[in-house]
Amino acid sequence: MKHFLKEHGLWILFASAVIAVALALLSFFSANSSPLANLAGVITSPFRSAGSAVVGWFSDKQNYYQDVTSLKQENAALKKQIADMESEIRQAQSDSAENTRLRELLNLREQRKDFEMESATITESSSSNWTSSLTLNRGTEHGVNPGDCVITESGYLVGVVKEAGLNWCTVLTVVDTDTSLGAQVFRTKAIGVAEGDFSLMSKDQLRLDYLPANTQLLNGDLVVTSGLGGYYPSGLVIGKVEGVQTDDSGAAKYAILSPSADLNNLTEVFIIKSFDIVD
Amino acid sequence: MTSRQETFFKWALYTGATAICLLIQGLVLQNMVVWGVFPFVYPILAATVSSLEGSINGTIYSLILGVVCDLTIPGSIPCFYTLIFPLVGLCGALLTRGVLSSGWLGAAVASIAAFLFTGLFHALILAMSGKAAWSGAALVCGKELAVSILLAIPIYVLFHAVYRKSHAND
Repeated sequence: MKHFLKEHGLWILFASAVIAVALALLSFFSANSSPLANLAGVITSPFRSAGSAVVGWFSDKQNYYQDVTSLKQENAALKKQIADMESEIRQAQSDSAENTRLRELLNLREQRKDFEMESATITESSSSNWTSSLTLNRGTEHGVNPGDCVITESGYLVGVVKEAGLNWCTVLTVVDTDTSLGAQVFRTKAIGVAEGDFSLMSKDQLRLDYLPANTQLLNGDLVVTSGLGGYYPSGLVIGKVEGVQTDDSGAAKYAILSPSADLNNLTEVFIIKSFDIVD
Repeated sequence: MTSRQETFFKWALYTGATAICLLIQGLVLQNMVVWGVFPFVYPILAATVSSLEGSINGTIYSLILGVVCDLTIPGSIPCFYTLIFPLVGLCGALLTRGVLSSGWLGAAVASIAAFLFTGLFHALILAMSGKAAWSGAALVCGKELAVSILLAIPIYVLFHAVYRKSHAND
């Protein structure tokens, strides 16, 4: 190598200078890139593109990973926010329903100042197919006694307490066969007895018996407790007349009542512990 | 184990099995309303145990079950189940020991009889209180029987396991 440079070095240096001058002149006089630079660019262009694509791919992957991580965190935060909001909505719906009930109860309390009431939650619905009953979470320690009337916040009669324990009581609903109440047709003031009938119990209906012979009933007539005898308060809404039928003997008529209280969708009720007897 | 210990062990197992059934009745079955009625396991329990244990033990078990029922279920009369369940138990035992074999089929037939007896007694009580509703009572009895009778099989399996465990030394 040393020998080669000694013999031809001068020539190589000269050739390099000529090429350099030629390249300088070509690039000076050419409007675009010089042919050699152009050639080099053409040759290296695919490699540059490939390199750029590889870098871009890695960059995309990195961005994707960052985006996914960030989206996962955001998604988790949003899910938690939705769960919190749903919980708040449920609470708000429950509060709203309770608010409505309490407003109606307040209205009832203002109308019937003689009532001493105890709110109660239903802990069990009917435990037999042969009775229509409810179990409440209030008992003798809360002043509840057998014979107390149970109503909804709107003043609709639900039933009568049959049995009371220390912190529980059993209520027979108005449609139970053992329920019998003095009743009055609100429009005509006709007096009768509202009592449960086994054949009607499954349809959540009861009958109004012992009506005066000349009573004219219309569908939709409101029937309330008469309060006669002072055993139950007067004016509690039992239900509405659904129809009038003749009994098996054909001698007497009775009305079929549909209770105003929705007996299958109750959660909270009010027990009337005491009231003023109206003669 | 002495004879007294064996007896105690056996009835402790029956009590445990009954408690499981009553828990399922109260927590699950009472909320499964089909055709307006829910499954009712008490008559099946009385019939099944009576079919396995015979007339005396079965009747005593049914009597105690009836008392439990009357204490927890509001009825038209305060001792409704205390009166009818011993009869149901006796009938179940006589049916399976006298007419049928004491297998699951016998227990199922005894259970059907138990539902019919209970329904008939309900209808009689309604009639005696001046509120006769024979067709309504028959309808409820039929529906109750239809939605409950399939439960006779798992109840028989459970109580038969108790029976085998407690009579292993016989």
